[in-house]
Amino acid sequence: MSQERKHKVKDIFVEGPIAPEFIATSIAKHATRTDIGAHEIFLGQVRADEHRSSNIDVRTVTAIEYTAYRDMALERMTAIREEAFTKWPSMTCLHVHHSLGTIKAGELCFMVFASAPHRAAAREAVAWVVDRIKAELPIFGKEVLSDATHVWKKNA
Amino acid sequence: MEVLLFGLLAEKAGCDRIEVQVTSVAQLRRSVAERIPDLSRLEHVIAVDRVIVQDDRPLTGREEIAVLPPFAGG
Repeated sequence: MSQERKHKVKDIFVEGPIAPEFIATSIAKHATRTDIGAHEIFLGQVRADEHRSSNIDVRTVTAIEYTAYRDMALERMTAIREEAFTKWPSMTCLHVHHSLGTIKAGELCFMVFASAPHRAAAREAVAWVVDRIKAELPIFGKEVLSDATHVWKKNA
Repeated sequence: MEVLLFGLLAEKAGCDRIEVQVTSVAQLRRSVAERIPDLSRLEHVIAVDRVIVQDDRPLTGREEIAVLPPFAGG
């Protein structure tokens, strides 16, 4: 199992939003793995942030258009995944999906899903993987505003 | 050699790849700045063969080079 995990580059990118049905199906697929006792899931949703240039000029984010430097993102993700399995060796599996293309406010764009026999490993791994992805994967987000202008998103 | 541009930088350049002839990352920045005049004021990093590098990294011309604006995943 651990050998199979190593060096296998998985494509995390999906075109368009992540459907809630897809998440339900992902959970259901783990029913046969009865060594799992805990699932932890992080879901990122596009927020309708307000951009104010004055009190009367308020523009709202209606969607984010995501693009990525795919090859570098997938290489970084493979390294992060391997490090996560080293840090939390009891983790049974880790699934990551990120949207590309136009994702409207309220839609889901990011999912990190870890399973383990006990909750601590799953919880800690998800929090750590989410932070690493936000900091290290070359993914770019163009926030489309209500007046059809745009601004480029930058992670804090 | 070809340089890949992404996000805001591709928008500023009006294309997602440009051709340059350089032998160092510092030279690369100067060449890219000819296409994107306000590059020095725009936050960015240089990736060589898909790894972020500093200015002292030498270039042979066979690498995959990219100029990346701030990341916004998640």
